[in-house]
Amino acid sequence: MAKRSTILKVSGLRRAFGPNTIFDKFNLEVRTGEAIALTGRNGAGKSTLLRCLVGADRADDGSVEVCGNAMNEASPEIRRDVATVIDDLDFFPDLSVVEHLDLLARAHGIADPDEAVDEVLEEVQLVPQSGQLPGTLSSGQRRRLALATAFVRPRKLLILDEPEQRLDTEGVAWLAQRLKSERQKGLAIVFASHEPELVETVATRVIQLGAARG
Amino acid sequence: MSSLEAGADDFGYEQPPEPKPLTPASPRELKRLMQDWRAGRATRNVLQAMSDAYVAVFAAVMIGAMVVNVIMKAQRTVAQCTSATCLSARAILPWAAFAATVGVALAVSRLFGPVLASAAEGFWLLDAPISRSKLLRSRLVGAIVAAFLGGAVLGALISALTGSGLTEVLVWAGATGLSAASSVAFAAAQQGIERHRLTHLATYVFGVLAVGALFSVVGVAAGWFSFGLADDVGIELGLIMIAGSTLVLLISTVLAALRLGQIRRTRLLSGGALVSGISGAFFALDVGLARDIVVERRAIERGHVHPRRGKGVGLEALIWREWQRLWRFPQPLLVLAATIVVPYAADALGMSVLTPVLAALALFGAIIPLLNGLRVLTRTGGLARCLPFSLARIKLASIAVPAILAGVWAVATTPAYLGFGDGAIDRPVPEAFLTAVATAAAGLLAAVRWTQAKGVDFGAPMVASQAGAFPPGLVTNLFRGFDVCIITTAPLLLGLSPWWSLGIAGIAAAILLNSMDAETLRARQAEQQKQLAEQRKQRTEAAAAAKQRKR
Repeated sequence: MAKRSTILKVSGLRRAFGPNTIFDKFNLEVRTGEAIALTGRNGAGKSTLLRCLVGADRADDGSVEVCGNAMNEASPEIRRDVATVIDDLDFFPDLSVVEHLDLLARAHGIADPDEAVDEVLEEVQLVPQSGQLPGTLSSGQRRRLALATAFVRPRKLLILDEPEQRLDTEGVAWLAQRLKSERQKGLAIVFASHEPELVETVATRVIQLGAARG
Repeated sequence: MSSLEAGADDFGYEQPPEPKPLTPASPRELKRLMQDWRAGRATRNVLQAMSDAYVAVFAAVMIGAMVVNVIMKAQRTVAQCTSATCLSARAILPWAAFAATVGVALAVSRLFGPVLASAAEGFWLLDAPISRSKLLRSRLVGAIVAAFLGGAVLGALISALTGSGLTEVLVWAGATGLSAASSVAFAAAQQGIERHRLTHLATYVFGVLAVGALFSVVGVAAGWFSFGLADDVGIELGLIMIAGSTLVLLISTVLAALRLGQIRRTRLLSGGALVSGISGAFFALDVGLARDIVVERRAIERGHVHPRRGKGVGLEALIWREWQRLWRFPQPLLVLAATIVVPYAADALGMSVLTPVLAALALFGAIIPLLNGLRVLTRTGGLARCLPFSLARIKLASIAVPAILAGVWAVATTPAYLGFGDGAIDRPVPEAFLTAVATAAAGLLAAVRWTQAKGVDFGAPMVASQAGAFPPGLVTNLFRGFDVCIITTAPLLLGLSPWWSLGIAGIAAAILLNSMDAETLRARQAEQQKQLAEQRKQRTEAAAAAKQRKR
């Protein structure tokens, strides 16, 4: 059996806001085909940790490596390998749903962008909204579009912050199966979630952050 | 007999007496009630507030007096000028101000309503059984009065600065003010029947008229044609405009008032939400955010587009999308085209020395709407993180189309620097071209700097002042972009070679586009400090271990 390669390596990560230490000496190693679920109550540090992992926030100490490269948000190699859906995803107000996906597919040099876009669009059930501008989408539809931006492009590591947010029951079930299938194909996934069904279906390891409520 | 058949009385239930019909409060009573509440909660009256802020009041009075003094001096100086250029400017520029004011009043009215209501009013008052027309009437009147005052000030200012006499200034102030007020009333009348096509059309017509009037000033200065207008014709034309505007104002106001009750609540609230969003952004002095809100609003109004297939791969795809987006919303191109007139007009009006600065500032304003892509990609890192390129390359791709357009703008404005009007600075063709390129670079880079501005960080260390503590970014954010314009065109202002300006533009481009922005520098500095601390820690540990071994 081939040895699975390490995609993400986190060593001694520390983040504090003033006197409040959010996490300290946090270590994590994620290999291909592994899915790590971060759970914990609100304010436990899940989103902060994910922001540090993708380089959107700077840790006070420790290191993050993706495929052997030190994390640098501006690095094209990191951007090529890591697909993220965290709370800071923005959309062009004057580009339609399908045009956003087409742009990402082409930017990543996908051979047949039309086919890739159509496939993802159908999967996230946004075909009727393909010509709509993002400002007119409902919050659930915006979430689906955000997830589609991660699925339409090549990736080695997928980082998601509460991907189930604003999705209906059917949407959560679809997402769980989609992430499970991605993991089985060898994708490394790190995600924060409050949804037991999603965690149970997708995660190979669960990390509980923060102290449990007293 | 079943319990149901027994009737309600068997359960001890008595039919309540018919309630007396209630008389709803009138809108006036409600407003008075709210005024009483507000006054009751106020801790200071107006005089006390003004006495607390006496420094600000005193400063405002001083600055106001200085501005009026400068305007009066300029008016006296320009009034002495009797050249064809000055006469044409005196005759035509008030017309340009008139047309531009009407265009702006219509555009702003269409964007905000002009009749609007806040979210609280929408929730608590608009559903109440009171006359919506009576409730909204004060809003309509307020908007019309505000437009009148704004228009009158602008009309008076332009008329005075072109050297017109007092009577003419007053006539044009009245004409421009009334035309702005009638534009708002017209837009309100259209709002009442949910139609905006006429307002839209009129906005463009008056915009084109304003640019046409500016072109006429240039044409007369260049000697292409002359109007041969008599000196006193301005007053007569102004009076005719007052009569026409008053007629439109009366008819439109009556129509708007009759239709006030028909305006949908969502339409009233969306205007209110836009105002509260923009005012919030302005309170934080975040002009970029205010613009984002307007851009988002316009996109929502459009809602749906016919999707277009992209082209190319990699960065080419990003550049192609920028081009497509520009064709989808081409209005900024019209504004850019209109700014070509500015250096010609400035030269024609004898402001040859200031021409590069004025032209760069005009281009700066015109290029900002072309940089929406750069704005989205830099305001949060989310979308840029999805693209497999460095931030520097993303920025370059985002400004490729605006840079090409700025290049075309430079070519189109080159003749303005050859020595256009009376007493203008004459330059040879290569120098004129380089001056135009330097000016275009200043405008473009200023817009790039403005677009990339981050919101003020209220978590940063504050600076103490008499008005209270404020973050330093609050002040510097206001000058973003203007600084690049002024610094880049300063050598041209001082009569130095345009190569100096191009050199400064090169340095500015390196800082703004090669990711050498403050944030990246801070991040690099933090990373270096972290590495240094780690090395220091290792050295201390190694020294301690060596000491231990010696013992």
